[in-house]
Amino acid sequence: MRRLFPASLMIAIAGAILLFLQSTTPPYAMLTGPIRTSGAQGDTVASRTFSARVDKVVRAKTIAYKRFGKDVERETSGVWLLVAVEARAGSQTMPIRAATIRGASGRLYRQTRRADGAPQLLSAKTVQPGLPTTGLLVFELPEEELADMSLLLSGQYGPQLQDEIVIALDDRKIAVRDRAVLGDDGL
Amino acid sequence: MKESLFGRANRAFTTKLLAGVGGLLAAFLSFALSIYQSRTAGEVPRVDPGAVVDAGRWKVAVTSVSVGSQMPDGSRVSPGKKALVVDLVLENRSAESSNLYGDALKIENVPDAAKPLFYLMRDRALLWDVQPMMPEQVKAVWQVRQDQVLPERAKLAVVGEIFKPRDNLYAAPGWFPTRPVAFVDLPLAAAGEAGR
Repeated sequence: MRRLFPASLMIAIAGAILLFLQSTTPPYAMLTGPIRTSGAQGDTVASRTFSARVDKVVRAKTIAYKRFGKDVERETSGVWLLVAVEARAGSQTMPIRAATIRGASGRLYRQTRRADGAPQLLSAKTVQPGLPTTGLLVFELPEEELADMSLLLSGQYGPQLQDEIVIALDDRKIAVRDRAVLGDDGL
Repeated sequence: MKESLFGRANRAFTTKLLAGVGGLLAAFLSFALSIYQSRTAGEVPRVDPGAVVDAGRWKVAVTSVSVGSQMPDGSRVSPGKKALVVDLVLENRSAESSNLYGDALKIENVPDAAKPLFYLMRDRALLWDVQPMMPEQVKAVWQVRQDQVLPERAKLAVVGEIFKPRDNLYAAPGWFPTRPVAFVDLPLAAAGEAGR
């Protein structure tokens, strides 16, 4: 009995330590997650491999553009959010394929494919080093998500140990339009 | 000396007996559990057309089924085939835009049916991502051979997905398919043009 008590105490302590280590181990997904750089709307936010600046944010009920010479009009049950971005690549050519809006609830809204073929989309461009590239990002999201938004930009979706730029969007700097026309010279 | 030898042998026998009984008990328990699970798995509810089914990642409401010769985007079905078109409302309940709805709907009583093509009715075009909290009117299309005999009533299964905060491989959050959560039985309407 006199030996049993310290032994069981040691086992309990060892168990507690192991439980603590197990519950605080950072998950693999976090260890290999994106390398984030944050900034505000209007500022040039620079990461190691690329930088970006949000020039203009517009919300609209309808968007219109020309695709293959044909007029296209797209409507939504929520709102369209159009973001004009200037991107610069560091030392290597890179496409910026992934653009996501984190809405008020924390849900992630990827840029929509419903506006594919619209002129000046950033997702259709490649950013060359030394050549600042402007482009548009088109998002579709419910109206109640339009507060405390941030824009997440990276080379591809689900970046692992790669740069991701997070730009907080300013609610007061969002222009409201009924119908936004995406032309060859942007918004 | 003799007594202790006998005692040792006896103890070895008891140990083996206990191990045997324990093993048998474990086998019996797992067998009983698998029987219980397969019994309770059979109770998949049947829902009415138009009822919203909560399938974890997706909310699905199947409204009608028809057979036609036109795809919802206005193009014609490839020669020698016909289109089996299911009207549904699809809502993304997850926290991220997603285009992984291909496994959410299965047709049970048409053999060799591949994954359907999904069309967004708002645009009459192929459906890409479904945004969270934005239900959309969608058509799912299976292309089957022209001479294939279709049943009078289509039996559709809505397949559920569960969220794991940490998956077994990378401890990363993710959605994983499970089993059908509901069946919908619908009469097959012979619409001339599925796109209308």
